[in-house]
Amino acid sequence: MRRQYATLALVVLVVFSVVASGCISGGGGEEETATIVMGVTDKVTDLDPANAYDFYTWEVLNNVMEGLVKYKPGTLEIEPALAESWEVNEDSTVWTFHLRKDLKFADGTPLTAKDVVRSIERVMTIQGDPSWLVTDFVDKVEAKDDYTVVFYLKQPTAYFLALLTTPPYFPVHPDYAPDQIQSDQTAGGAGPYKITKWVRDEELVLEANPNYYGEKPKTEKIIIKFYRDASTMRLALQNGEIDIAWRTLRPSDIDSLKKDENFNVIEVPGGFIRYICLNTKNDPTNDAKVRQALAAAVDRPEIAQKVFMGTVEPLYSLVPNGMWSHKDVFKTAYGDGNIEKAKALLSEAGYSESNPLEIQLWYTPTHYGDTEADLAQILKEQWEKTGMIKVTIKSAEWGTYTDYARNGQMQVYLLGWYPDYLDPDDYTTPFLKTGANKWAGTGYSNPTMDDLLSQAQRLSDQNERTKLYEQVQDILAQDVPYIPLIQGKLFVVTQKNVKGVTIGPDMIFRYSTLYKE
Amino acid sequence: MARGLGQYIIIRALMIIPTILILYTLVFFFLRILPGNPVMAVVGTKNIPPEQLEHLMQMAGLDKPLYVQYFDYLKGVLHGDFGVTLAFPMGKPVWEYIAQRFPATLELALWAFTVSVLLGLLTGVIGATRKGTKTDSAMRVYSIIAYTLFIPWFGMMLQYLFGIHLHWLPTSGRLDPGVNLHTVTGLYVLDSIITGNWDALVSSVRHLILPALTLGIVLSGAYTRLVRNNMVDVLSQDFIRAYHARGVADRKVMWYALKNAFIPVVTLMGLQFAILLGGAVLTETTFSWPGMGTFLVDRIDYRDYNAIQGAVIFFAFFVGIISLIVDIVYALLDPRVKY
Repeated sequence: MRRQYATLALVVLVVFSVVASGCISGGGGEEETATIVMGVTDKVTDLDPANAYDFYTWEVLNNVMEGLVKYKPGTLEIEPALAESWEVNEDSTVWTFHLRKDLKFADGTPLTAKDVVRSIERVMTIQGDPSWLVTDFVDKVEAKDDYTVVFYLKQPTAYFLALLTTPPYFPVHPDYAPDQIQSDQTAGGAGPYKITKWVRDEELVLEANPNYYGEKPKTEKIIIKFYRDASTMRLALQNGEIDIAWRTLRPSDIDSLKKDENFNVIEVPGGFIRYICLNTKNDPTNDAKVRQALAAAVDRPEIAQKVFMGTVEPLYSLVPNGMWSHKDVFKTAYGDGNIEKAKALLSEAGYSESNPLEIQLWYTPTHYGDTEADLAQILKEQWEKTGMIKVTIKSAEWGTYTDYARNGQMQVYLLGWYPDYLDPDDYTTPFLKTGANKWAGTGYSNPTMDDLLSQAQRLSDQNERTKLYEQVQDILAQDVPYIPLIQGKLFVVTQKNVKGVTIGPDMIFRYSTLYKE
Repeated sequence: MARGLGQYIIIRALMIIPTILILYTLVFFFLRILPGNPVMAVVGTKNIPPEQLEHLMQMAGLDKPLYVQYFDYLKGVLHGDFGVTLAFPMGKPVWEYIAQRFPATLELALWAFTVSVLLGLLTGVIGATRKGTKTDSAMRVYSIIAYTLFIPWFGMMLQYLFGIHLHWLPTSGRLDPGVNLHTVTGLYVLDSIITGNWDALVSSVRHLILPALTLGIVLSGAYTRLVRNNMVDVLSQDFIRAYHARGVADRKVMWYALKNAFIPVVTLMGLQFAILLGGAVLTETTFSWPGMGTFLVDRIDYRDYNAIQGAVIFFAFFVGIISLIVDIVYALLDPRVKY
């Protein structure tokens, strides 16, 4: 009897080890240098540029499509893409672009000015989430001939070229229905890659576009695998299942992978920012002194170090570090962890230790990663150091949270911002202009601010615009409808043999320069 | 007798309907009691004009009164229409997702089920035949430990051991990147055999081992105890002694005993299958397994009402059918059952 069980156990063991060991040699053993596998925890939401409006999907679209102009890899400089040249009239309301003559979509269909016009009109018709990037600016668009596209703008727009680098302006293949969102359409555009396989939330396979006008991608095939969470993705990287772990590993993972010799950790400055929103309509944050006191007590370096383990940098304005016109206005006005100043301001606002300011601080638990609760906790501690503030922490899921924000139902709450286009306008107007900030729910309105922002939008001279944005930031630091906290850095972790990682200030990872040694 | 069984089946089948209806009603209203909605989850902090928000709400049908939404969806379900997704991507039939995701869950569940039954039987029988010995105690301890293991933790331990440490097995997904498989049933192992795609077969089996072991081991604990206790019970009965007295071979006696001890195990199998699907949600998340569990979790993040309702109804229906089948098998196996 006993022998039989022993035999059975042995059989199970043998079967298991045979399957396991047989598999070791069976799968993934041979290195294929023409393929790079990349892991992400982000999701591709919508492959239709008329409706896609999140950073990761824009990244994929940027690899399978291209606009008339693009950022020179790794820089903020705009260079010709599908258009080889352009001119603009004096008041920058009419922009004329001349397309390359040899343009084709990935399947060989010729791409002409008509396709550009059709694609942009499509965005205007469909009115998807990002359509405002077109409809707020473009009055009409025309194809003068097969190779000339003319944009007539509603008002002078100095940063129109920056807008053109965004996906709503990308010409799409004629397969995209003219008046319908096609979320799983893989026909793409005229970018360096084409989509050859797409299983939502599982796998996206890109192969080099044989009809691309530009330089051929260094790696023929890019496979993107979608992970549920950062820890599974990290395991896959360590197990060699993926070559690159991209957005987004946790700060603690990055910290430990940096110490591991088997991997390269590449750090890129990121243009996304995190900040506190303050409701300027409701008591007690409708008092500017209260808002200033809260700003003074915040200690950004401590947040960057303790919560994010140095994977972010302190931010003292809404305009990110490194962008022209950026000014450290909050540092000058309040410094960091300035408890004395906070106390003085609170006293002026009528609060004391026996009559403390009571606020509710809101955060959302998953949308910004699992460090969010820690961020709320550290802010509470920093504010309570004054002895004159009592903080209650509250949280709500993303869907609920954004609803509360839009309806102005929260007092003090945490949000983040990824840029739509790289211009100070995108970091100021949506936040500070009356009405444009409805999504943020701060209710902030200041006619002087509105006027400055409108002027800056119309001017084309960068020096003059810089002066205006500096004034805007000064007022921001006085009125404090937002307290800027940190600016993100991006981290790409690769196996040792992966080279050619290129991510510019636009934070878009361009896969065509990647290769394996 | 035949009419009795027929009636029994019909009554049991009809009982699935109120169960699903109650579940749907609960899910429907719970989702809507909470503030926020799928449109808000999608739009997030995007700076889009309020008119466009209204337009999106209309498109999603969320501007209609609650009772209209409730009955509209119910009417759709009766016609086999589970509605369209309300979050990314908007407007795709939920049924398409269920059809794509469910086979993954089913495949994982079937393998885990097999692992759990085999391990449960093996450990249970060993315990029973060594009653009162150290081995018996060891099996008991195994059963308790297996039963109390937390799936994400245990899964991660296996990932570390067999993935990171030994590099034997992949830690996530269903196939190696770049392996293509023409799907017929959506069960990858079966599909790769049908299509003669041996690369895909090896790849899918490798990917299945860790999640199926994780879930299978956790669920095997319940079988161990039940099989052991039943076997002990049966082994002490007169007919077993009679077999021994007549000199019937040990192996044969064990087989008869196991057959007799099996009836309650069948019931447990039915119950376990429902628990199995629940456990699959955790296992899928741990192993990035693209099944119904991860689909449900994703959709809850987006507050995608239709997708959540559709998935829950489908799950409930499936569990209902499984328990119906188990009841029928049980009725056929055990003549003492009265319909």
